[in-house]
Amino acid sequence: MSAGRRDILLALGFAALLAMVPLVFGTRYIISQITLFFIWGIVVTQWNLVLGVAGIFSLAQMALFAIGAYATAMLAYYGAFPLLAAMPLAALVTVAASLLIGFACLRLKGAYVALLTLAVAQVIYLIVVNDTACFTNPPSGCLPLFGGVRGFSRFGDLGFRDLLGSKFYIGHYYVGLGLLLAAQIFCIILIRGPLGLAFRALRDNPGYAMSRGVGRLRYQLWVFGLSAFFTGLAGAFYAANFGVVGPIVFSVSMLLFLLAMIVVGGMGTVWGPLLGAALLMAADEGLREFGTLREIGLGLVLAIFVILLPRGLSGLRRR
Amino acid sequence: MSLLEIEGLEAGYGAQAVLHGLNLTIGEGSFAALVGPNGHGKSTTLRAISGLLRARAGSIRFAGARIDRLRPDQIVAEGIIHVPQGDMLFPELTVIENLRLGAYLPKAAAEARTRLDEVFSLLPKLRERQDQVASTLSGGERRMVGIGRGLMAGGRLLMLDEPSLGLAPIVIDQIYEVVRHLAVSGRTILVVEENAMRIAELADRMHLMDNGRIAWDGLGSEFLSRPEIRAAYLGG
Amino acid sequence: MEIFIQVIASGLTLGAMYAVSTIGLALVYSALNMLNMSQGALLAFGGYVCFYAMETLGLPAPVAMLAAMVVGGGLGLAIYLLVARPMLGSPMFETQIFIATIGIGSVLQSVVLQLFGPQPKAQPLNVPGGVSLGGVVVPWQSLLILTIALAMLAGVAWLLGRTRAGLAIRATAQNRDAAQLMGIRIGQVYAQVLMLSGALAALSGIMVSSLSGLLPTMGADPMLKAFVICVVAGLGNVPGAAIAALLLGLLEAIIQYLFGVQYAFAILLGLVIGVLIWRPYGLFGKRQVVRL
Ligand SMILES: Nc1ncnc2c1ncn2[C@@H]1O[C@H](COP(=O)(O)OP(=O)(O)OP(=O)(O)O)[C@@H](O)[C@H]1O
Ligand SMILES: [Mg+2]
Repeated sequence: MSAGRRDILLALGFAALLAMVPLVFGTRYIISQITLFFIWGIVVTQWNLVLGVAGIFSLAQMALFAIGAYATAMLAYYGAFPLLAAMPLAALVTVAASLLIGFACLRLKGAYVALLTLAVAQVIYLIVVNDTACFTNPPSGCLPLFGGVRGFSRFGDLGFRDLLGSKFYIGHYYVGLGLLLAAQIFCIILIRGPLGLAFRALRDNPGYAMSRGVGRLRYQLWVFGLSAFFTGLAGAFYAANFGVVGPIVFSVSMLLFLLAMIVVGGMGTVWGPLLGAALLMAADEGLREFGTLREIGLGLVLAIFVILLPRGLSGLRRR
Repeated sequence: MSLLEIEGLEAGYGAQAVLHGLNLTIGEGSFAALVGPNGHGKSTTLRAISGLLRARAGSIRFAGARIDRLRPDQIVAEGIIHVPQGDMLFPELTVIENLRLGAYLPKAAAEARTRLDEVFSLLPKLRERQDQVASTLSGGERRMVGIGRGLMAGGRLLMLDEPSLGLAPIVIDQIYEVVRHLAVSGRTILVVEENAMRIAELADRMHLMDNGRIAWDGLGSEFLSRPEIRAAYLGG
Repeated sequence: MEIFIQVIASGLTLGAMYAVSTIGLALVYSALNMLNMSQGALLAFGGYVCFYAMETLGLPAPVAMLAAMVVGGGLGLAIYLLVARPMLGSPMFETQIFIATIGIGSVLQSVVLQLFGPQPKAQPLNVPGGVSLGGVVVPWQSLLILTIALAMLAGVAWLLGRTRAGLAIRATAQNRDAAQLMGIRIGQVYAQVLMLSGALAALSGIMVSSLSGLLPTMGADPMLKAFVICVVAGLGNVPGAAIAALLLGLLEAIIQYLFGVQYAFAILLGLVIGVLIWRPYGLFGKRQVVRL
């Protein structure tokens, strides 16, 4: 059995197990936390493709997530789109944005890409929070075009409240699970398939691969754009799930948290990022009441892993 | 008496092993040449001696003491001077700054003034070019700066990696003039050369390299008088 | 005319402030290929150490500044020894150190938050009053910042250009292997460069906080600006970074005047992104050959 087929079966198996969780544990808290894990899981699997597979040191990934979330909220709020239609549209908007960022940044070398994508993310953030001119005046008060510091709320839901009543969060759980499954299968296909092979060739022997016509930029743009689709979709689902979107999605500690998941789990591996996400979310649960110490712990975990275990936990197996 | 003794040296890059148990001894005051086909590990040998590359096994002794665990700067301080392949100048510094860096360590710095005069008399072109930035020099001038920079350091063993590589015939002649001068000056020298015949006329001892080992060594005159050796190790 | 002088004065002050922390970053990148993402936290640390020394310990301003620079240098050294050195030989060094210093930066920033709390504080190092120049009152504070910054830049230029240690730093930046073959102990060079950069960051943090106050997160924006300046100059180009810092400071002052403070940074970054699309290796950068 090929590695790709094995991983896909594994993914389906995990999904089946997770699908049974709501039947066993009923509490809303656990279900919503796992739903959040699905969201971060999608983001880190896609970021891992960009970072660990395509070798693009992009820090704009959270900005793409934010674009997905904001686009959903804005389409629903201003355009009165139903969320089910707004979500895929928002994902496409995210792809368009990623291609723009990609064209601007990907011709540059590693460190430049990191700084430039960080700058792009910061520009987007600043535009959102610094815009204070009222675009509309709903009963709750002045609302800037991009929501300002308060962000958007009351832009509709996925309809599970009507369907399931107070158990609507279980509906969200299954939507999240489905999206994560799709995103992870996409990752497996990409890493184990021809595109992944091309990237390994580029990484191991850039000169040779280049001379065989493996154009780096074109492949990078493909990965960047495709992963942006799922990242944007994750953002869209985040908006739908919580019913609010604000500038907190741009915060540095969020970026740090997600980056740490990838590094702890193992950059460039198929399962590492999800493992890291699960572990760090569990650890975070334990550290929640420690406030500042949580940030210190997170920073230390990130640094210590990069220093002592740069291949992450998944790298331990291959030692 | 031998100045440099290498036994069972193994070294390489990442997973790739390049040197597989190399033995090499160089006598004090002798002129040794290391020759062999491309990619068989000549430069790797020099890099291991000067500490740029860590030996994975074996030992390197210099004047009787182990040096294979020292840092490159400590090895330079011991007196091993390595003029690397491809010059490796400091591109944004001027010729004179490059030369001065050759005498960076305090011991060499004390003698920098007289050494600079020696270098300029040996390579007069450098005197004219002293304020030019290294990245704007011609290939031949660059090579001269590289060699001059090595000479500035003094030292007890001078290692030159392919001093004539990629130069026009007339420049090669000039470089060989310098090498000849060094050969008769009584310094201990290890030179890596492509052109085995030409270096054999100057060298006391020839060391032929084959796949990470020394396959044959002997006197320069012996090498010249036995064409079958050339045929066997250097492909004619 | 008056507005012109005002904009120039505030632009130069901004630029000089940026230049101090930017050359530190550029120096570290040129010597080690290391983007130090904890620079912002070092800025904050410097600002708070100065605050603590003056406010709590009652030390005079010059001593407090010196103390802050010593602490900054010490942190720089610690970052070299504990974070950078263990991964120096790694083929992924650039990526690894980037991520690791993001983590360290978060740790340092949280330590500041833990020690001093989240409320904004005023930097006691503040000179009141101003001097009238062509009908405009230029605050003494700005002139002081400008003077200290220019003195610092001159000091660094002297260090790099005229001293043995500076020559070793430049040689290491230009060719690591060759520097070692000259007998330069590059580990020591790295340590010195990070110490210097840490001390400069602390000083820059004092300057920034003397204008806009102390906050644990105060380093984030100046750091991003410093990075942007480095990128515009071409990563690792130290003199270029100083010039670009002054230019961008002026540009920022002009944008602030024309479009208002809240858009200055966004427009500046937008412009920079434009510059990079037009010249991918920075204004003064050379096209780097990709090593195969
Ligand atoms: N930095 C490096 N990383 C990986 N492999 C290397 C590196 N330098 C050299 N090699 C490999 O080590 C082997 C020996 O190289 P080395 O430079 O020692 O050969 P050489 O005998 O000096 O050849 P030449 O005459 O071409 O200079 C070659 O196969 C080469 O590809
Ligand atoms: Mg060679």
